[in-house]
Amino acid sequence: MSVSTRTHRAGAGKAPARGSGPRAARRFRLGEPGTAWLFMTPALVLLAGMLLYPIFYTLWVSFSDFDLALFEPVGWVGWKNYEMVLRDPGFLESLKVTGIYLVVALPLQMILGFAIAFLLNVEWRGRGVLRALFLIPMVVAPVVAGGVWRMLLDPLWGVVNYTLGLVGIGPVEWIGDPTLAMVSVILIDTWRWTPFVVLIAAAGIMALPGDVYEAAKSDGAGRWQTLWRITLPLLVPVMAAAFVVRWLGAVKMFDIALAATRGGPGNATNVVNLYIYEKGFRSLEFGSASSMATIVLIITVVLTYFLFSISRRLENRW
Amino acid sequence: MVSTAAPAPGNRKAGRARLGRIATITAAILVTLAFLYPVIFMISISFKLPKDIFTIPPKWISEITFDNYVSYFHQARILPRMINTIIVAMGAAIISMVAGSMAGYALSRMRMRGAGVMGGLILASRAVPPIALVVPMFLVARKLGLTDQYITVILAYVTFLVPYVVWLMRAFFKSLPKELEEAAMIDGCSRIGAFFRIIVPCSLTGMVSTLIFCIILAWEELLFALILTNDKAVTIPVAIAGIAADTEKGGLWGPLAAVGTLTVLPVVIFALAVQKYLIKGLADGATKG
Repeated sequence: MSVSTRTHRAGAGKAPARGSGPRAARRFRLGEPGTAWLFMTPALVLLAGMLLYPIFYTLWVSFSDFDLALFEPVGWVGWKNYEMVLRDPGFLESLKVTGIYLVVALPLQMILGFAIAFLLNVEWRGRGVLRALFLIPMVVAPVVAGGVWRMLLDPLWGVVNYTLGLVGIGPVEWIGDPTLAMVSVILIDTWRWTPFVVLIAAAGIMALPGDVYEAAKSDGAGRWQTLWRITLPLLVPVMAAAFVVRWLGAVKMFDIALAATRGGPGNATNVVNLYIYEKGFRSLEFGSASSMATIVLIITVVLTYFLFSISRRLENRW
Repeated sequence: MVSTAAPAPGNRKAGRARLGRIATITAAILVTLAFLYPVIFMISISFKLPKDIFTIPPKWISEITFDNYVSYFHQARILPRMINTIIVAMGAAIISMVAGSMAGYALSRMRMRGAGVMGGLILASRAVPPIALVVPMFLVARKLGLTDQYITVILAYVTFLVPYVVWLMRAFFKSLPKELEEAAMIDGCSRIGAFFRIIVPCSLTGMVSTLIFCIILAWEELLFALILTNDKAVTIPVAIAGIAADTEKGGLWGPLAAVGTLTVLPVVIFALAVQKYLIKGLADGATKG
């Protein structure tokens, strides 16, 4: 795709100069910046009003005392909310839980996704059908996914425990045990999101250049050698891109944990978004909720920036 | 002698390759079925009576009932909530599409100072977690008396849809040949005219797949809807979260499965109908940008 784009651009650059001289080219570019800003206006207004303004408002609330009677932030209190939040074991634990979820779930989904994409890539009549069916888990609303898996994982009536019982395992307390509850949340998330990686990976595999493989074959490379030395390195840009998109979704994880475990047992699956939500809208501690949200915002933006630049570098190198 | 011996190892090799192929295809089918199972399970539970749901061993075949659909449909006001979700999802998707495509076009094709910074900022806003926005949205909406209204939820959804549309459409417009609008503009079209008359019709496939993504993302959104609605504008995910919370007592499996099926089915049909665009849009969205 990028190759064809480049040729188009090169052609376009030459066209006006050859045709009617540089003056004509300048004439229809006149007023260009103004029109460009006109095109940008709707999006900028919407984002300024609904994104930028709320971020500053959150910052303001995080530095003030929240008066529940007036229901608005009053008075500057400096770092007080932040000091309180950083001493709140619940918040620190929710950060840890989120970290564990991200560190386990994302690589798992990437590996599974690419492995399944290779499976699906074998050429046969049903290939298209299978790929289309993989769209289905992806469009199941996360809150529905959480609810349905709660039934599947039910210790008493769940199909999973019944099946495990047949081979002599169990009964397993999927939702009741702190560690297993985390395993369950990651399992549900992986079920819901692996298909997304599969579809991106499958498209990437299909787009691999065929002539490289013919060359490798004539040079006598084996199947494993081809996979490790040629296919996987060629797929690095796709992997990097899929990882970034997946990351952007995963840091917002909220609904699966809410529907499947409600953050429990205890705080075992209380991801940070769920914890802040409960602090703000259940305990009505808007000041603390805002400082926590600000901390999460900063962590997320910094980590995303790092991931983006690594991904960009990987995409350009290969 | 030689001629009869020679094909034998070749045949064995071919046979082994065929066996490997069949094994791979079987594995692919099994994995797909495993991923589909929870959805099949949900649909089957939605048609079962409680006595057939809560049994060990699980019953594969049982009496079919529509009770779960009928009884809870009214009680949880599923129909009005479905309509709310459709209005909110369509509204947010269309507004985001218009604003996002125009911005994506300006960023991909036009000369302007600060385009790089602006584009970077819009794309960076994809990293803003919604949780950082909900407190002010709630407080301001409450102050203005705008809680529990469509427009509030729609505007909240715009925050994550517009950056997404800008990202996808910018990549899409970049892949179109530049001669398209240059020809139109030499013929006397303005930039705006060229965009609406030439570029938009040429980009319909990209726009349709992006629009579908937006509708799906808005359709299943929970956090904003949970905070900004409480009665009139409640969306389906909020209703489901309520039913799911109720299952802690045990017993609402049938209704939860029924509402879940009603939520998922339209999107699945929609997604399968346009799967080609969807898969392409997905891959492009991830790898270009």
